[in-house]
Amino acid sequence: MTAAWRLLLGAGIVFFVLLIGLPFWWVVTGSFKVPQEIIARTPTFIPRSFTLQHYDLLLSASAYGTYLLNSLLVAAASTLLTLLLAVPAAYAFFRIEFRGRATLYRLILLAYAFPSIVVLVPLFATFARLGLVDTRLALVLVNTAFALPFAIWMLRAFFAQIPPEIEEAARLDGGPPLVVLWRILLPLIAPGLGAVAIFAFVSAWTEYVFASVLILTDALRTLPVGFAGIIGQYQVNWGLLLAGATLAILPVVALFALIGRWFVTGLTEGAVK
Amino acid sequence: MTPRLSRLIAAAAMVLPAPVLAQEAVEVTLWHMEQPPHRVARIQELIDEFNAANPDVVVRQEPQNWGEIYAKAPAAIAAGAGPDMLFAIPDFTPILKDLGALTSVEDFVSELDARHDFVDSAVEAYSYDGGVWAVPLYNMTMHLWYRPSVLEEAGVAVPTTWEEWRAAAEALTADGQFGMGLPANRHLYTDQTVYSVMLNGGAAEIYEEDGSLRFDNPETVAAYEFYQSMMPFSPPDAPSWTWGEAEACFASRSCAMILQFTVISTYETQAEGDPADLGVAPIPVREAGQEPGTIAYANAVMLLSPEDSPEREASERFIAFLLEPENYGRFLNMEPGLFMPVTADGAEAESFWSDPVVQEYRSQIEQVIANSENGKLFGFTSGRVFPAIAAISAQNVLAETLQDVVVNGRPPAEAVARGQARMEELSQ
Amino acid sequence: MTGAASGRQGRLAALLAAPALLLLGAVLAWPLLSAVLLSLQDVRIVGSQGAFVGSANYEKVLADPAFWRAARLSLGWVLANAVLQTALALAAALILHQGFPGVRVARTWIVLTWIVPTVVVVMIWRWLLSTSGGMINPLLVSTGLAERPVGFFATPEAAFMSLVFINSWRWFPFIALMILAGLTRIPADLHEAARVDGAGPWQRFARITWPLLAPTLAVLLVIGTLLSFNVFDIIWLLTGGGPAGSTRTLPVLIYETAFRGYRVSEAATIAVLSTLVLMAFAVLATRSLALSGADR
Repeated sequence: MTAAWRLLLGAGIVFFVLLIGLPFWWVVTGSFKVPQEIIARTPTFIPRSFTLQHYDLLLSASAYGTYLLNSLLVAAASTLLTLLLAVPAAYAFFRIEFRGRATLYRLILLAYAFPSIVVLVPLFATFARLGLVDTRLALVLVNTAFALPFAIWMLRAFFAQIPPEIEEAARLDGGPPLVVLWRILLPLIAPGLGAVAIFAFVSAWTEYVFASVLILTDALRTLPVGFAGIIGQYQVNWGLLLAGATLAILPVVALFALIGRWFVTGLTEGAVK
Repeated sequence: MTPRLSRLIAAAAMVLPAPVLAQEAVEVTLWHMEQPPHRVARIQELIDEFNAANPDVVVRQEPQNWGEIYAKAPAAIAAGAGPDMLFAIPDFTPILKDLGALTSVEDFVSELDARHDFVDSAVEAYSYDGGVWAVPLYNMTMHLWYRPSVLEEAGVAVPTTWEEWRAAAEALTADGQFGMGLPANRHLYTDQTVYSVMLNGGAAEIYEEDGSLRFDNPETVAAYEFYQSMMPFSPPDAPSWTWGEAEACFASRSCAMILQFTVISTYETQAEGDPADLGVAPIPVREAGQEPGTIAYANAVMLLSPEDSPEREASERFIAFLLEPENYGRFLNMEPGLFMPVTADGAEAESFWSDPVVQEYRSQIEQVIANSENGKLFGFTSGRVFPAIAAISAQNVLAETLQDVVVNGRPPAEAVARGQARMEELSQ
Repeated sequence: MTGAASGRQGRLAALLAAPALLLLGAVLAWPLLSAVLLSLQDVRIVGSQGAFVGSANYEKVLADPAFWRAARLSLGWVLANAVLQTALALAAALILHQGFPGVRVARTWIVLTWIVPTVVVVMIWRWLLSTSGGMINPLLVSTGLAERPVGFFATPEAAFMSLVFINSWRWFPFIALMILAGLTRIPADLHEAARVDGAGPWQRFARITWPLLAPTLAVLLVIGTLLSFNVFDIIWLLTGGGPAGSTRTLPVLIYETAFRGYRVSEAATIAVLSTLVLMAFAVLATRSLALSGADR
């Protein structure tokens, strides 16, 4: 590698580190500054003050723990349901030949082809009839529906990478397709499952519009909605906002620290083609 | 006092002995849009007291957001998942009334009126189509906030006319400070500031007596021209401002003056918090000698459960409890300096004036109450109330017209004419 | 394959795919169908009743300049996002494909912006870009890049570009990883052979990386287009479609028409029209791309 290229690479790395890291640095450090320092007209890069008052206020005045629990429940259930539904469907679309397969497959991808806002009103009415308004289950169903097409599409690509001989050999050993799927194929596409799981989790974790309308009571709110509420509409309490942002980021960062590697390996080993 | 009301009061005020027969308590839900944590906490305090004193009723609160409530309330009501009580501003009520979700609360309001004496304009804002559609709870009015020391340093007096206002804003715009923070967002806040300027320029009436629109008139145009001439002294992000940004601008000393309902709690908690250096004045008028006025929002609560249902009765009992002078002040002080009493006995209530923050900022709050004498709300003035204002307000046409001037650069006269056309279209 | 086997396979496939399809049908397809019905009626407020009006709503919407303006803005929004996101993502992916100390950590944590709730992204940038208390403006002024604070949402152009930036900031890392996935599948010996032939980095990129990466990019472009077309929350929460309607893309217009204008049927009409356009795009695109190599 030439010196010029190394320099360019270094510059690129610095650029992206700043682009992604700097906002988070400002947010997290800002959440520990006293209000007067946050709104000072000459901002400080490294905090001069340290306070936990914003966190105190946030935790004492809001049901942060409840929101967090709701978000985790909804995201985890959505992830599980997405996997449960997407794996067999992706397998069917990949391995089994049936009439209308291509059409149906294309139809599923069309799920992203309309503004999701469109279904908000009719969906509210349907859920109301089923008694699902103001339940976490409603959010799980919506999140799963929106994550499914991508999940099916990605898993199908993973199935496609399994050498046909492996499956053939397993089948000749006399396993019915479902047993083959469970015992032989799933372990082979584990990275794919990890990537899909994280995709589903993050989609549910970050969803705002449906959660804000379908949930009516405070005790069932998810983190983004509860958080938007605390920040309020009338006053800008930047310290409270920054503490809230930090606490909203924290859980998913912790999660990602544990399993984030899978996501990247999963994606790089299979996925898009 | 009517027998019914005395029964309510008796029930609300006394701690009743536990009912002999185990009885299923009536549950009622209150939706309000006072979401900041300290307001929610104060309301919860009052609810807890009420619930303790009324073992047969359980009131629950669910704070909501103005940004979503316009979508959520109609959807929830249509789905049968709506609340029993819902806070309202005058232009939100007609929407629910059109949905058929409201019944008139005229009798209840007149009972309360007999006991507490409502400010007339607060009731008027909810009286039309042969009924009263919500119970007034508090007033919000807008004022000019400043720091005396900052004005003094720049050698500027507190402005009382548009001319002085502009000169002050110009003088105060220096060294990274903006003279006058004014929003230009297509948002309720801008509706409020624009109307505050309009009404001090003689353009308070949007309707003729017969209900035809009179928005397009020389006074309105003059108000928009003036507002436009103030924009150079406002921060460049004013076109995206809501209430919070204005307060942050004032608190951070980036804005020397702002128009706002109150800045007291932000000033107290996030800025220097020195009561002696916080000034509040009436909004300047177009010509010297005019009486200054301000926009006044009578907030109210709508009752959604069917007449004669146990939920309705429980809701009424809770509202009567809130309006009792010993509770009312604490209710209003969930945000000191923001919510003004709408009842005569509430304005004198010990519970209102004894709050520590209110005591600290007593002179400011007295000034706010004095400014509120002449409060008006567009579409609800001089008894000319036409529910079509709901659509005009929901679409923020006043603010939209301002953006047409400030962002699109359209001459004010033309923009105001287009604004009136837009209002006519929306009223259909 | 015999007919019987094929029939059995068909039944099995139906069994396997049915749950997913049922959910998609209930949560997406059925409401979509209701939207079509709504667009033929005259419903004003959500939840109220309306008379059947045939194609009146369509005639009204198609004659409304606000609709065409929103359509143009949506097109601009999709294009601008595609360009910025792809450029950032491609650059990031090429860097992550190199070996440098910490590359593993970088590969994992680049998605930081994507795993943060949208609302938080909105709050962060509203704060950073604010003129009272934010971090960016003082930085610009003190370094002399700007003479006075910049109103990032003040003019139509600035607001539009700020939104494109924020949306791309959120999404580009995800796309970068997808591109990285494509890059890792390019056999290393191709590069080695080219290097032996004396090709410089730029030539290797132009002759090997780019042609082999193009199909991946094309697929991502389709998905990215659909996803960014549908972006609603970032725009709504940051500018509400303003100033002066300059960021009112079709989803924003739909929401506003339904919930602020209380013309639910008109909103449904706009929704149906934009769905038709998007579907046409998606069908054409998936037909030419997604299925081409999928049946290997």
